[in-house]
Amino acid sequence: MKRKIYGTLCGLLAVGMVAGCGSQGVASNAANGGNVQNAAGGENASDTAQNAAEEGQGADSAEPETVTVWHDGDESIMQVIADEVNKELEAENVTVAFEKKTGLTDQLQLYGNDAENGPDMYFYAHDSLGMFAEMGILAPITDFISAEDEKDLLPMTIEAGTYQDTQYLLPVYYETLLFIYNQDLWEGEVPGTTDELYAYMEEHTDTAAGTYAVVNQHSTAYNVAPFINGYGAYIIDENANPGLDTEEMIEAVTYNKQFATLMGEGDYDTCNTLFNEQKAAAIIGGPWLVSGIKEAGINYGIKSLSEFTLPNGSPLAPYSGVQGIGVLKHAEENKKDAVASVLKALCKENVGVSLAKESSCAPANAKSYEDADVAANEMIMAMRATAETAQPMPNLPQMSVMWGPAESLLAAVNKSGEDVKTAAETYQQAAVQAVGDMQ
Amino acid sequence: MRKKRQISVWLHSLPAMVLIGGIIVFPIIYTAYISLTNMNLFHWDNYEMIGMDNYVRALFKVDTGFLTAILTTLLWTALNMAFQVVIAFFIALGLNAPGLRLKNVYKTLLMFPWAMPAYVSILLWKVGIYNTEFGLANKVLSALGFEKINYLSRNVPAFLSCMVLNLWMALPFMIMMFDGALQSIDKSYYESAKMDGAGFWMQVFHITVPSVKPIMAPSVIMTTFTTFKQFDIIYLLTQQKGALTGATLQTIITYAHQNAFVSNNYGLSSAVSMIIFVLIVVISLFLNRGLKENDDV
Repeated sequence: MKRKIYGTLCGLLAVGMVAGCGSQGVASNAANGGNVQNAAGGENASDTAQNAAEEGQGADSAEPETVTVWHDGDESIMQVIADEVNKELEAENVTVAFEKKTGLTDQLQLYGNDAENGPDMYFYAHDSLGMFAEMGILAPITDFISAEDEKDLLPMTIEAGTYQDTQYLLPVYYETLLFIYNQDLWEGEVPGTTDELYAYMEEHTDTAAGTYAVVNQHSTAYNVAPFINGYGAYIIDENANPGLDTEEMIEAVTYNKQFATLMGEGDYDTCNTLFNEQKAAAIIGGPWLVSGIKEAGINYGIKSLSEFTLPNGSPLAPYSGVQGIGVLKHAEENKKDAVASVLKALCKENVGVSLAKESSCAPANAKSYEDADVAANEMIMAMRATAETAQPMPNLPQMSVMWGPAESLLAAVNKSGEDVKTAAETYQQAAVQAVGDMQ
Repeated sequence: MRKKRQISVWLHSLPAMVLIGGIIVFPIIYTAYISLTNMNLFHWDNYEMIGMDNYVRALFKVDTGFLTAILTTLLWTALNMAFQVVIAFFIALGLNAPGLRLKNVYKTLLMFPWAMPAYVSILLWKVGIYNTEFGLANKVLSALGFEKINYLSRNVPAFLSCMVLNLWMALPFMIMMFDGALQSIDKSYYESAKMDGAGFWMQVFHITVPSVKPIMAPSVIMTTFTTFKQFDIIYLLTQQKGALTGATLQTIITYAHQNAFVSNNYGLSSAVSMIIFVLIVVISLFLNRGLKENDDV
């Protein structure tokens, strides 16, 4: 009896161990280990999409095709995109199915070249583009669509999707920093220059009492980028050279430091709490803060950072993060026409209009802003205005190791009181070493 | 018959050995292999063997950060272990004092920090205790009329703040171990000692400490390793992405994470991992030998 039990248990164990090598459909989900959930309709949406496509087969002679897109974003946003694209492609018998994958970068490193278990496309922020391109897993977008298809897209967003002169990402929407203020606390007009803003802050800040005029994540590179870019400095240039010790960077960091002294601790949670508890009259932050601000019942107003001028006469120039869709190389061979249809559908202005209306996203398509409802959205129009001066975050793979030294420089200056020039030299060395360590 | 039995033993062990081989041994061997290659983002599919280059880079880089990190780690481990053992010992002694009421309530409360997920505890301390705007430590200072302090912006206060948190999180385990060890001591030793005129400290040093030493040794060794490879506290308090505090504290694990693992250079990261692995194995052998000698005595 014992022998039978041992035998059965050993058999089960052996079956369990090799189960991962099973059939493709099951294996892809099990092996990927991700949260396979589809924006187009929940956990089984991939199957639903497949079924829908199969049902359409009878009505249309074209072979039904499902294009799988992995993403790591907000599922309600993906739902909006899926609805619009699937509506557009109904006649072509092409269905797009979004699957959420937590830790998308790691997942694509594992499955980017895997036609069996990997996706056909991916939807992600543009700053990882260089890494995927260097891995050789992406197909150029221009193999599927023409410049004519993209004529309405904002140039800044196309620049974000381009790596080493090749466009790998079709931009869909973007995010950037905004000046959000509490209309009940702010006295008078919001100034138009950063010097006037600083004067206002000096007058209305009491650090001992914990009340602030403006709060910003003053030691986070993304949040200081409006000053860095505005002064013509750069964290990393197009040839992957770090620029933490340039004269322009020292000037920008020194200028930012005076604001930091009037902004408290400056980390994400502290800044948000101070603003939402009405202890700060304004915050520099992204559109992702707005839902929390609304929940806190704050009567808020929004101003584009581009409308503030630095002492050198340039406007503040924040980074932009562009969310877009890329094509995996193997999909070019297997599903070229279906992928091209999806990309063309995504270029249409109606996708942008729906995203703006339903998810408050700033569309990459300039024509979407002509819609009356979109034009009436203060936040989206502020982001549209900022797109004129915003610079896409660098999409070089080396940027991934630059955030650490850049933020260490800012923290050393703003929080530890180190000399700007000395700290700049120290962290430039660290940055050069970090970039070197990638090779 | 004996041979058949031996084969049967191996066959029964085989599934477990295959499992251990696949889950533990294979990753170590594979990491060692990768550490000898130039596998990185720029050589994703076309990587090749480069010998010991990654080890040379990891150990003999011009940057002195690795040595500083090792010294910080040793200091961190020594101080934390010293405080943990001494404080836990005396708290456990207190909990075992004759006539103490509600001791089970105290013991339950003392377990609380240990039962909380580390991530939650660390972020609670970061915001609830050390934050300049909302932290209890600064609220108390403000109430007393002092200026706010940023506890995490410089290395020494940040090191001490991390240590206090580590003690808060780690003491319950040590107290529990000491508590169990103390309860195993025969009470008649103390009665005899009292009759011979031994005072409190005499009893502690001549009865309690020698009695709990062999029981506590495995717990102390285990905690020493946990403390040595501590990552969460220092990383989450001072180095969290987007919330750097200004302190530049590095232990070897945070150093390895910062210098190797964010670079997508899998060859170099693997070499650093192998060095840490060897370091821990050496310390483990050293401590085990010490323990064995202790047992022999």
